[in-house]
Amino acid sequence: MTLATQTKAGPARKTGSALAWLYFTPAIVSLLIWVYGPLLFTAVLSFLDWNLVSPDAAWQGLRNYGTLVTQPEFGNAAWNTVLYGLCVLPFATVVPCALAIAMWKRPGRASEIYRMLLFLPVVVAPVANALAWQFILDPLHGAVNQTLRAVGLPAVNWLGDPHTALLTIVAVTVPKVVALNTLLFGAALANVDRRTVEAARMDDAREGEITRAVVIPQLRRTMILLGMLSLVVVWPWLFTNISVLTRGGPSNATDNVYFRLYTYAFTFFDAGTASAAAIVIAVAFGLLLAGYAFLSRRFRASR
Amino acid sequence: MRVGNAVGRHALLIAAVVLMLLPVVWGLSTSFKPLSTIYDMSPIPWPGSLENYQAALGRYAIGRLLLNTLVMAAGVTVANILVALPAAYALVRFEKARGRGLMLGAVGAALLIPPQALIIPQFLLTTQFGWQGNPIGLIIPQLGTSALAVLLLRDHIRALPPSLIGAAILEGATPLEILWHVVLGLLRPALGAVSILLFINTWNEYLWPLLVMPNPEDTTIQPGLALFTGPENPQYGPLLAAAMLASLPVVTIYVLASRRIADAFLHSGLR
Repeated sequence: MTLATQTKAGPARKTGSALAWLYFTPAIVSLLIWVYGPLLFTAVLSFLDWNLVSPDAAWQGLRNYGTLVTQPEFGNAAWNTVLYGLCVLPFATVVPCALAIAMWKRPGRASEIYRMLLFLPVVVAPVANALAWQFILDPLHGAVNQTLRAVGLPAVNWLGDPHTALLTIVAVTVPKVVALNTLLFGAALANVDRRTVEAARMDDAREGEITRAVVIPQLRRTMILLGMLSLVVVWPWLFTNISVLTRGGPSNATDNVYFRLYTYAFTFFDAGTASAAAIVIAVAFGLLLAGYAFLSRRFRASR
Repeated sequence: MRVGNAVGRHALLIAAVVLMLLPVVWGLSTSFKPLSTIYDMSPIPWPGSLENYQAALGRYAIGRLLLNTLVMAAGVTVANILVALPAAYALVRFEKARGRGLMLGAVGAALLIPPQALIIPQFLLTTQFGWQGNPIGLIIPQLGTSALAVLLLRDHIRALPPSLIGAAILEGATPLEILWHVVLGLLRPALGAVSILLFINTWNEYLWPLLVMPNPEDTTIQPGLALFTGPENPQYGPLLAAAMLASLPVVTIYVLASRRIADAFLHSGLR
């Protein structure tokens, strides 16, 4: 007996559907008002010239999109977005995978403690994390530069130098990515058959070899999935750190399309250009996800 | 051989723990240092002082911000569960309902839409409703995130023993009775875990309160903390004390419930 109603097609099934939609109503209304409605509205706004408050809004056609393409700031932000994505990716895949395997290989008290500590960056208030980093990275008195000077290395203006600022924002953000994904790799590992590892150990295989030949192949799909999901969730986390630490600077070095969108909308009150940026982001995202769906299907087919 | 592996394993994990937690732990230690030794390289704040915490709670009125955050996080958690639970239940219970696939697709896709693409209309709608500067405006628009709660709860409801619900169906219980008496009873641990995740996630929300709570007194702790940092050198002592107070509630909840949170993920769709 399954949970689902066992009725066949006919009047009974119809009532079942009506009843189901009754239960769906609160969620579907919430999503329509706060997700799908706004998405549609953003699309409309992207064709308007409007300052968010005046009663007049002029139809612009595609001019807002043209503005985006021609503005060097948006090109820079788009390029930085790609850089952010590429920098985050290893911390969403390889690093947490290695940590999760290291804990999974030898379950026990020690691994439990590591597991608990390694998840903490997800919980710690993001602005608290950003401020703690700002403090240790202080160019004059920060602990990092004090340490560098003590060993005879030059001090670095981590957040103030355009060459290091983007990487510093990445460093401030990735602990949270690593923490969440280590837990999720752990969840995926719970379904890996331990006996395959025990059998390999019986055959005197080296641990590294066991990991490479037995464990990792069973995690490959999780790796692709988590790489993808991290590229969905990481942007608000980066946004917070950019907003608190650099506000997109120095000279736009840490800007990305999400922060640019926010700047257009809530600093310049240019709803049209901001919405056009939002639509560009949403479409680029859709393409990325379609690419992922294609890859994962091909991967499944090739197995 | 075996010993070498163990050393390598612990070295890797300890390095990860240190790299990921050191800045925050350093901030914690510094928050107990008096102003005169705040840039000292000693990791242990000795002799310690509580002056930063006094300043944070007095001059910076962190207590008020924490209370606002509690209201928001609790409100969003309860609202999300109320909205998501019936939907999650119906997705499992009425497996053959017409349009179920559409519902599931709408929920899944909502999670993948970048939230930044939605903030301008969400902001305008909140203003239109007169909810600017109002806790309602802080809470209700975040119902957009209920899609995550639907998916998590659906996985947990699906994992319940079908025989119990089958027995209730045979005894003639209506779907609502089954949801109330059977599913809710069995679901309590999972519901707790999902609530904790939603609570922590909402507690740490930064952008939305920044937009709808222009008054510094009414905002929540994340944007509130950011308000105290200026372009010039901020007062790091009280600031770090406030930052630690901002994390304390959620870190405490996590430490008390870490086992349960891990279980919530173990039963999620990732397998």
